Amino acid sequence: MVTTRTAEEVSLAKRAFRPKITVFHCFNAADLAFENNGDCELKAVKMPCSSMTREVFLLRAFEAGADAVLVLACPEGACRHVSGNLRAARRVARVKKMLDEIGLGGGRLNIFNVTQGDDTAVEHILKETLAGLEALGTNPVS
Amino acid sequence: MIVGEQKPLEEIKAMVAPYDNFLILGCGTCVKTCFAGGEEEVATLASALRLAFGKDGKKTKISELTVERQCEGEFIRQAASLATQNQAVLSLACGAGVQMVASRFPKIPVLPGVNTTFIGILEQPGLFTEKCLGCGNCVLDVFSGICPISRCSKKLLNGPCGGSKNGKCEVNPETDCAWQLIIDRYQAFGETEKLYNYVPPKDWRTADAGGPRKLVREDLMV
Repeated sequence: MVTTRTAEEVSLAKRAFRPKITVFHCFNAADLAFENNGDCELKAVKMPCSSMTREVFLLRAFEAGADAVLVLACPEGACRHVSGNLRAARRVARVKKMLDEIGLGGGRLNIFNVTQGDDTAVEHILKETLAGLEALGTNPVS
Repeated sequence: MIVGEQKPLEEIKAMVAPYDNFLILGCGTCVKTCFAGGEEEVATLASALRLAFGKDGKKTKISELTVERQCEGEFIRQAASLATQNQAVLSLACGAGVQMVASRFPKIPVLPGVNTTFIGILEQPGLFTEKCLGCGNCVLDVFSGICPISRCSKKLLNGPCGGSKNGKCEVNPETDCAWQLIIDRYQAFGETEKLYNYVPPKDWRTADAGGPRKLVREDLMV
């Protein structure tokens, strides 16, 4: 017998899915003091520079159950360590490819350049990530 | 150093798939320097494999260890306890290291996680280039410190050939012509007359053409 979910059940399931997002951020790029907001469970990891985010940190965040991982780096030309943000971008690109190979989907990991104090940009990034997760769904490994 | 490159994740996953638990064994010397098999790469690969198997619903226990050098028995001894607790060892060393580990643990499958590529140098961050073929009879003194055996596409001992154009090789225009480099270097220290010396054909018996090679130092034997 094929069971189909009603629109109400789908809506309830969507409401039950409270995505977990891990954010690695350069402490010069953003200040994520909050751990949670209403729509998702946020875990912020403060780094001295976005380039300190090693590949294994990103993968372990997914192992720990994150549905999406974000890296917030300083804008190009504004890195206090000259090219840390560029190196972080290359590293993220490599791990995205790895996630595609694993089958989790590279779309779960993204890097953004954020100016310090630009909370509106951070909010927008989170909204975009949550919208993306509606299509990707929960982390199948968690 | 020996330069290597980690095998594609899919290939490694297929190799270790038959085992429920295995050890990823890194090597802290050459392959660490070329970012193919040191502590960092062991941790990253272990995490990637845990995710890949986890996605398939398979529980796999992965142990991680990096020893100083896998090509020396003394260092492999540190891995004995973990290796024997696991069904297989995935070695991230060069081909020599993998075989050394295999010889030490004859009852455990030892699998290669790295493609050994060449003997080379770190030319700039992220760029490794081949500089030596290990021919067993170094002739760098005859060629101003530039090796035509490993760096000339045709391995010419009396060059350059007609395919050298603007300092580049006709086989691959991105490759510097080794003979142009040899001439430039001799010019730099005023020994261009050496270019008139004929170099006889190389005796390849000291290279891999003579079968597996062995170096014996009786003074070091115990």
